[in-house]
Amino acid sequence: MISRLALRNGSILSAAVLRTATPCVAAAPKLLFHTSQQQLMPKKLPEYGGQLRLGLVPEEWFKFFEKKTGVTGPYVFGGGLIMYLLNKEIYIMGPETVHAFVALTLLVYGIKKFGPGIAAWSDKKIQAQLDQANTDKAETMSVLSNAVEEEKKEQWRLEGRHYLFDARKENVAMQMEIEYQERLNKVNEEVKKRLDYQVELDNMHKRLEQSHMVRWIEQNVVKSITPQQEKDILNKCISNLKTMSVA
Amino acid sequence: MAARRVGQKAIDWAAFAERVPPNQKSQFNALKSKADALTSRLMSMPEQPKAIDWAHYKKAVPVAGLVDKFQKQFDEVKVPYPLDTASAKIEQQSKEMDTMSADFKKGSEQRIGQYEKEILKFKTMIPFEEMTVEEQEEYFPQMEERKKKYPWWPHYPVWE
Repeated sequence: MISRLALRNGSILSAAVLRTATPCVAAAPKLLFHTSQQQLMPKKLPEYGGQLRLGLVPEEWFKFFEKKTGVTGPYVFGGGLIMYLLNKEIYIMGPETVHAFVALTLLVYGIKKFGPGIAAWSDKKIQAQLDQANTDKAETMSVLSNAVEEEKKEQWRLEGRHYLFDARKENVAMQMEIEYQERLNKVNEEVKKRLDYQVELDNMHKRLEQSHMVRWIEQNVVKSITPQQEKDILNKCISNLKTMSVA
Repeated sequence: MAARRVGQKAIDWAAFAERVPPNQKSQFNALKSKADALTSRLMSMPEQPKAIDWAHYKKAVPVAGLVDKFQKQFDEVKVPYPLDTASAKIEQQSKEMDTMSADFKKGSEQRIGQYEKEILKFKTMIPFEEMTVEEQEEYFPQMEERKKKYPWWPHYPVWE
């Protein structure tokens, strides 16, 4: 049946021949039975079988007869052939024939009954496999394109490394600047402190001298007062008070 | 000096942050906070140290000639600018990084080429619906290896 299909389609056989016979087609045309158009390789495989008549006989046979004998010819030929075989006892009817009939009937019944279910089940299986394969393919492709994206992004990031080095150089420059400023300030402060010290020293001298003078004068004054003087002053004070009290 | 204070280059931190890989974010943040701290410290410093009011001190300090001596010495003092030891190292690191990144870029381009070849292979592949077993083996040579390892169908260890 497969070979018949191949002959019918022609293309598969020729494709197979093309694949095995590497010399070009034009150089050996007589080798090929079927000189169909050259087929490029992604060629769909036949999905359905050939047409049948009476569930058994290929359509092509009828077509072959129809050209010579008309529509009824093949039937007449088939019936006549069977009659001839039976009549001349080339085919002998025996118990095996009955057995064969029964077996065939059962077989056909079984195929008609369970065939579609099994076909649907296997179609489902095939579809699941195909879906799996397609999703795997899509996933792989997305993973690959993601990887390309990532690589490009990583390159782009690497381009930005000058930012890092600029920042670090800037940091160093800033640190040096800060250090320099601090040193300047320190010098200034130290000088100022010494000057302030001098000023403070002077101030303190003045203060001490002043307080010493005050104390010295006070002591001398106190020392210069005699007991007689003190008595006089006291008496004077008392008399003053008396006059004040009278008044 | 004022020109120096601002720095040779203003760093575009936003653009920098965009380019930092996520696994180095913490290092980036540390660097940024350090730089920010330095900047704020620098900004808080006066542009020029406070000048000493020499005239005031000349009046205030009684010791004759002392202030003049101080001023002379102060003017003579040259404050040294700090020695730069880090810049050379950074420069060297940057050079190293340049070569490293060139290497990486070469490798990366190679990898991209490989990936794109595979993508192209998948794109130009015959749809699975129309593929024969031989074609599948052609497209996926790993099946061939599996067949060598497990010669019996279905060519993978079912018992595991």
